[in-house]
Amino acid sequence: MRNRLAGLFWSLLFLAVPVLGVAVFAVAPSIDVWLPKDVSAHGKEIDSLFYFILALTGVVFIVTEMLLFWFIWKYDVAARGEEKATYIHGSHTLEVIWTIIPAVVMLFLAIYQMNAWADVKMRRPVMKPTVEVVARQFEWRLRYPGPDEELGTPDDLFLVNDLHVPVDEDVLVQLKSMDVLHSFFLPNLRIKQDAVPGMKIPVWFKATETGQYDLVCAELCGWGHYKMKGRITIESREDFDAWLEQKYREQEATQPNPQEDML
Amino acid sequence: MNLPSATACKNNQPTTTAPRLSLACLGVCCLLPILAGCGQTPAATFRPNMVESAKQRLQPEQEQQVATILEAMFGTPDNPVVLPETGLDIAKLRLAAGPVHSDIVGRKNGLFREHCSHCHGVTGDGMGPTAAFLNPYPRDYRPGWFKFKSTERADKPTHADLVTILNNGIYGTSMPSFELLGETKVDALVEYVKYLSMRGEAELSLMRYYFELDDEDEGKLPETRDFLIEEILLPVAERWQEAEDAVIEVPEMPEVDLTESIAMGKELFYGNKANCVKCHGVTALGDGQANDYDDWNKVVKQWSAELQSAHETSTSDMTSEERSEHRAWLAKSDRVLAGDALDPRTIQPRNLRQAIYRGGRRPLDLYYRIHAGINGAPMPAAAGTLSPDEIWHIVNYIRSLPYEFDGELGADRSMVARDRL
Ligand SMILES: [Cu+2]
Repeated sequence: MRNRLAGLFWSLLFLAVPVLGVAVFAVAPSIDVWLPKDVSAHGKEIDSLFYFILALTGVVFIVTEMLLFWFIWKYDVAARGEEKATYIHGSHTLEVIWTIIPAVVMLFLAIYQMNAWADVKMRRPVMKPTVEVVARQFEWRLRYPGPDEELGTPDDLFLVNDLHVPVDEDVLVQLKSMDVLHSFFLPNLRIKQDAVPGMKIPVWFKATETGQYDLVCAELCGWGHYKMKGRITIESREDFDAWLEQKYREQEATQPNPQEDML
Repeated sequence: MNLPSATACKNNQPTTTAPRLSLACLGVCCLLPILAGCGQTPAATFRPNMVESAKQRLQPEQEQQVATILEAMFGTPDNPVVLPETGLDIAKLRLAAGPVHSDIVGRKNGLFREHCSHCHGVTGDGMGPTAAFLNPYPRDYRPGWFKFKSTERADKPTHADLVTILNNGIYGTSMPSFELLGETKVDALVEYVKYLSMRGEAELSLMRYYFELDDEDEGKLPETRDFLIEEILLPVAERWQEAEDAVIEVPEMPEVDLTESIAMGKELFYGNKANCVKCHGVTALGDGQANDYDDWNKVVKQWSAELQSAHETSTSDMTSEERSEHRAWLAKSDRVLAGDALDPRTIQPRNLRQAIYRGGRRPLDLYYRIHAGINGAPMPAAAGTLSPDEIWHIVNYIRSLPYEFDGELGADRSMVARDRL
């Protein structure tokens, strides 16, 4: 004779999953493990998609988990005695319903998100690259085209890890990789794009606020992956131009400490 | 560790509660190693320079003596010690040394092991766990040779030179940039690199000193403070301190039209006087002489050749005692060569058309490179043969190379070669 406690244990265990699952999501924003601050023009659309899908899957998750709990609770053999379970071959109607509902939801999502996808991956602004980013194990090599706006000319500016971009302007990044797959991830700009060796991949965004944020690699690229952290500085056009000029002067130095010479 | 509970599990008679009990056992088994803690790893130790030890035919007790002296002078990886003669700042070293941990004010310590040691090794011998996969190999600090600096070829780099390397990384090698760690941390790491380098040089100097001992010493180094400081530490430390005031004077770039300067540089590049073409190749793609080694690899290369011939030497005129000693040395040396040295690799002359400059791309950096050569690499110093103006012309020519296509590869497509991929 099985113990009623076993049934209780398992059904409560299954009940704990939706309870803890919901609790984690409820607490997350207040302990700062939620979406990072969004400073991009297209980010709102992506975030609202995220919340929409989260709500949708959240409801399904809770209903499914509650059903699991309910079935284990209700049909525990210890509570119901020796009553045999009935064998059913299946329900055609049920199967059709649980196929069509998710299919409709998926189709809806596929259509509903098209505009957001096109904004980030298809409607590329017509302009020359603001900067070329070359991912390599384990850093971000940057190249700015200089005053002639052409990459691959003698006035190029070479830097590493310290990406600067102007605020409120379209920014076009030409993304390359020197060795393996990396992923160019700007969490605050809601941008994530794989860097693929042998490909030049355009990435664009418009930042809406000045500040300094993380640039990280989001593709496990080797033993030093954790090192692959850069920084993006979003600043006004004047500050950006002044910074470019300052860095270019440093790059062209023919004497130590050019700053001292300028004083 | 988890053995007792595992057997306890097995000994249980199968009962109705068995499934749940075994589940609990499983949980305990999984948790035990965590509860036991990970604090059981042995304290990190500095690895002795076995190649040098085998080369100098040190006896085990002599190796031990070197280790004891070094520990007294420099401490251990977890607890560095410095004498005032080194000029090193112990506060900075503490920040960089030891295991990765946060101190009472929440400041991250153990920077060297967090960021550097998996390539450069805890000892700074360039033989960390990932070293063998890299080309070029990570720098071995122990001989005290550094490539990219603002001082003359044989001199040490300045503190600022090493800071620049950490900030910019070395594009073209596996050394990444550490600039975003911030000034304090980079500064601490540079101090620690100098510390490891001084320690390595002191070790080499101690091991070589056994050679100069006479019979009275009975194969032991004097352990007096005077000897250790005057003969071993100071000669090393002073050269680091001198470097700070020995930065190469760079005369202004001559006021010549850039195109003219480039043309003159080109002439020098291909001419006999500078003869850059010998290694960097007629195409400047770095396809000239390709069978040379850098000094770090040369040490291993030459020693393994010596060892090879020692293996082939006849032992017939040795006494049986000499012979067994010789055999023991050969066996030890083979072991060292296999386990304490990386396979020697040839050095590649730089491809000058990639716009990748390891030691920095400023005209100033290129001037230093040509003026002083590259310590440890076959690149010689040009200071004796070329005038400053001539060096500047070559700098200008080198800087034009990545963009020099003369229309042959498509007139309207000025591109770096890499871009055409
Ligand atoms: Cu990566």
